[in-house]
Formats: sequence, structure tokens, C-alpha cells
Amino acid sequence: MVLLETRGLTKSFGGLVAVDGVDLAIEEGESISVIGPNGAGKSTLINLVTRMLDPTAGEIEFKGESITGYEPHEVVQKGVSRSFQTASIFPELSVEENAQIASLAAEHGSFRLNFLRHRDNYGEVEASAREILDAVDLLGQRNVTAEDLPYGDKRRLELAIALASEPDLLLMDEPTAGMSPEETAATVRLIERVKEELGLTILLVEHDMEVVFNVADRIVVLHRGAVIAEGAPEEVQGDPEVQEAYLGGVEA
Amino acid sequence: MSDEPTETADAAEDGGAVVERTRRRFPSWSRAVESEWFVVGATTVAVALFPWLFARAPVVSDLLNGYQDLASLILIWGIFAMGFNLLLGYTGLLSFGHAAFWGGAAYAAGLFSTQVSSSPLLIVAAGTVFAALLAWVLGFVALRRGGIYFAILTLAFGQMMYYMALSPLSGITNGENGYTDVEVGQLFGSFHLRYPVPGLDWLLGTWQYVFVGAITVLCVALAYRVLNSPYGMVFRAIRENEQRAEFVGLNVWRYKLMAFIISGSLAGVAGSLFTIHGSYVPLESLYWTTSGEVVIMAVLGGVGSLFGPILGAGLYLYVENITSGIRELTVPLTDVVLLDGFGAYWHLILGLVFVAVIVLFPRGIWGLFRDVAAGIRRLGGGRR
Repeated sequence: MVLLETRGLTKSFGGLVAVDGVDLAIEEGESISVIGPNGAGKSTLINLVTRMLDPTAGEIEFKGESITGYEPHEVVQKGVSRSFQTASIFPELSVEENAQIASLAAEHGSFRLNFLRHRDNYGEVEASAREILDAVDLLGQRNVTAEDLPYGDKRRLELAIALASEPDLLLMDEPTAGMSPEETAATVRLIERVKEELGLTILLVEHDMEVVFNVADRIVVLHRGAVIAEGAPEEVQGDPEVQEAYLGGVEA
Repeated sequence: MSDEPTETADAAEDGGAVVERTRRRFPSWSRAVESEWFVVGATTVAVALFPWLFARAPVVSDLLNGYQDLASLILIWGIFAMGFNLLLGYTGLLSFGHAAFWGGAAYAAGLFSTQVSSSPLLIVAAGTVFAALLAWVLGFVALRRGGIYFAILTLAFGQMMYYMALSPLSGITNGENGYTDVEVGQLFGSFHLRYPVPGLDWLLGTWQYVFVGAITVLCVALAYRVLNSPYGMVFRAIRENEQRAEFVGLNVWRYKLMAFIISGSLAGVAGSLFTIHGSYVPLESLYWTTSGEVVIMAVLGGVGSLFGPILGAGLYLYVENITSGIRELTVPLTDVVLLDGFGAYWHLILGLVFVAVIVLFPRGIWGLFRDVAAGIRRLGGGRR
């Protein structure tokens, strides 16, 4: 089943076309990686799909339903979650509260009039937050203030926040940016593990080719906002147009 | 957890148990302190003792120079500052137009008292409902923008209310003279607010204080419950990272509107009590300086806490009402006059107090208390 589909998705900023008529289809359970040189429109694509930006033209469908007019939180409630390029967390709250906020949104929906109900009554939120923290190995640090975590752990916390939203599709914007090789390897293992455990479909935007080839079943190459190649990692690797545009002719 | 010293293998079991036990002793105490019953109980005791300590207790009241009427006024502004701080300190939104809710409710309460009913409870209810509806409408527009634009929009709405009351609506509001026809009846038809409480007047003073104090405790309980509900967590999430809050699937806009309405309603409770307290609604209650005062009170007391702003309100009003009454500043224990007309400089004194608090204790008076308490606890822990 096609989980996410974009048709003719286009975004221009003034005269600059950042995303140019992208047709993309992601099957359930698939791991797709979007690669391309800087400024190819990868992040813009994610921002369009998560409704952070309004498309200039085109259609986005999730589970066969158009989400083009949705608010960002509605898209998350439908089952699309994302991580950001910089670790986007709630810095002054504890690690556990960070996860609880996301669990709360998943369990209770986008809004409820429950401001007079004590949060001790929400055991299911606490339980699911702990489960997620356990899955990313942060349960031991649950009482630490999030901003005091080392960088790699912050990224893992962000992944936990994204996972606590109980998504079907997870979009990750350069999850290993700024990480040491060890942290990168650990993150790849983590992504593969949660993907398997939670049956996630993943769309990954990434610069690190090692990560891409490890995680992705299929690669989509963007160049100047348009898809120039698409296929299994080995196929894309050998594509002369891709080497020209992206790898700069260097033999991989 | 990670900074626990690693134990040697053979000591691990016993040592671990000891660490666990000692660690548990403090959390159980701090959990008790955080429980609602404790907070409401402690607030009730503090509110009950306050007028006595402030106005009548031996030595303390002589030092403080306080009086009964100011005690009620401090609680009223305390509610206002506490409600305001739900927005500034917890949700991270700086409103510069909270005078609209305070003054709006004050006028609504005043008009209600003459036109509909003079029952104090109904007056407060009417003013609060008005403030809540007003917050809904103003929030609906002002919350479209964030940061400085939000602050300016709220300021503009506040000033619009002020000019409405000053001129176009002066037929109703009595314009720049303020609304003078306030009629305050008896509480539950039997307690005259101006009369002393029989048998307890040494402690509480008048029925009016009992009325204001009871509503203060109620407001503290309500605000504390809100902060411990899912809303409290969502508000802080919005303050910390609005974008992330939206992208975990929370409807940030509606939560912000709710924060604005709850905050405006508390300002409305306070504004209505202000009308009852003075039997008068001054036009200044809608003026932007009122919005500014509540910002100062909240920051002075500490925006990171529920109670800080109440302390800030107390300190502000103390300087405004007591310090301003000191005519001459003398060298202690002598008659040497340092400065004549000292009290006239109360704004300057307040400014100095404000700067001192912000520079020395950025988390406000409440933050200072917390630090002192933590220091004492650490000393106790060190000895053991």
C-alpha cells in the first residue's frame, strides 16, 4: 500500500524554485532516503510534507487522503512525525517530560479541555513515555534536564519525541549531522532497531552516504528541486547523471 | 544517576540499598510539599496569618508599619500577578495589555453592582465572566502574532479599552472621574464586608479580608491544579519550543488561547475584587501603566514560580504605600535627618529595588528563597 504520495509538488520562494514538480510514492514499511547536493530542496520537501510550508502547487496524500490543507499538528495526528536538523527538544524540561509531552499528544489528540484534571490520572501517558525512553536507551537519564544531555543524547531524545507521537511515517532531517563516527554508528543501529520494532516507514534526508546505504531500501536523488534518479542504492550509485550532479564525478 | 560513584562488586548490594534509602527520604518530603493539599493548606495558613503579622502583631507589625486594608490589596494584586504569570512565566507569552482584563472586569463588576445585584459573589462572577469573554476575543486576534508583535497588539487593545472608557462610553463609565456608583452589599445577605469578624478580628480583621482571602486561596488552588494538569505541561512545552510542540501533534494555537483566557479570567477575578475593595473604579485601572505594573510585580517576584508574583505584588505595593509615607529618612537611632521628603521618591526607590533584585537574583524573590532553602538543605546533608 502506498503510504505517502506527492504529485507535482512544487515550492518556489520568489523566483527560486526549491522543489520542482516532485512525484514521490512511499510504500508502507519502506525506507527511503532523499539525497542531493546542498540546496537541492531536500529539507524543503520534508517541510512541505509536514505542512510547515505551503506548497506553490501540487498534492500530498497520506493513507490515500489529501493532507494538503492540513495544519502541522493535524498531519502529526494522522501519523506523520518528524525530527529536525538541529536537536529540537524542550531544553528546560526533564528528559521524561520531553517524552511525556509527545505521548500526551498521541494519547489525547491535539486538544482537550482537561485543565482541571490532575496529571497523576494519566498513567497511560507516563507508561508510553517510559517505554519510548527505554527504546532509545534514555530511561536511566529520565530525570536529567534535557539541555544538560550530551549532543548525541539530545538527538536520541529528539528521536524519542518523534517516536512517542506513534507515527506510521517518520521523516528525519539529517539525524546524524554533527555527530562523531561512534555516535553516527549508534544512531544507525537505533534507527534500524526502532524501524523493525515499530514497523515504521522512514523517509531520511541525509548527507552521510554510509548512513544512507545502511538504512535505505530505495534512494531518491534531488537536484535543483527535481528528482533526477530513483532506485535501489546500487542502481543510483552507478547512474552517470547522479555522479555528475551529486558525487561530482567521483567514483564511489 | 550517572554521577553516582561506582561501587566495588562486593559492596554493591549493601551500598546500593543505603543510597536508595537516603535518596528516598528527601523525595518523599518534596513530594509532600508538591502535593495539592499541602500547597492549599500552607496558602490558607499564610493568608490567615498575613493581616495579623502585617498590621497587628507585636514587633513585626511595628517594623513593617502595615495596615489591614493594604493586606487585602496585596492579595488582590497577587491574584492578578499570579494569573498574568501563567502567561508570561509558564507559556512564555508577554502580554502588555492585561489592564484590559483587570480594568474591564473592574468596570463590569462596578456596573453589575449598580444595575443587577450587589452580592459580592455575583459581582466577582460577573467581572470574571466579562474578563474571560474579553480574553477570548482579544486573544483570538492578538495570538495570531508572536513575540513583540503580540505584546504590542495586547498593548494596543488595552489602550483602546482605556480610551473607550474615557470618552465614547463616558456616559456609562463616568469618564475620567472613574466609576463611583459601586454598591457592595452583604456577603450571603448577612455579612457586612466592612464589619470585623466576631471573635477573630484580631487575626483576620474584616469580613472583606475573609472574602478576599478565601478567593485568593481558591485562585491559588485553581492555578496550581492547572499547572499540574496536562495543560501545565503543554504550556511549558510551548514556552520551551513552540515549533516542536506543534510537531508532536499539539494544537498550539488553541492551547495558547486557553492560557490567555485562564490568565485573563484570573486578572478578572482580581479586578472585580479591586472594585469591591475600593467601592470605586478608577480610570487608571485600564491605563497601560497598570499593565506595566503587573509585569514588574511578576518579574520582581520571579516568573518561574506560582507564588513569586504574589510576593512581587506585595513588595511593589509595600514600597508604593508604606515607603512613600515615610517623610524623613533619618540615621537610625538618632534624629539626624538624611533626606527630607524621602517618601516622594518612592518610584526611584522601587526602581532601585527592581534593579537590585534583577541583577542579584535573576529568578526573583522566590528564586532567592529557593536558593536559600537549597543551601540550608545542602548544609544539613553535608553534616550527615
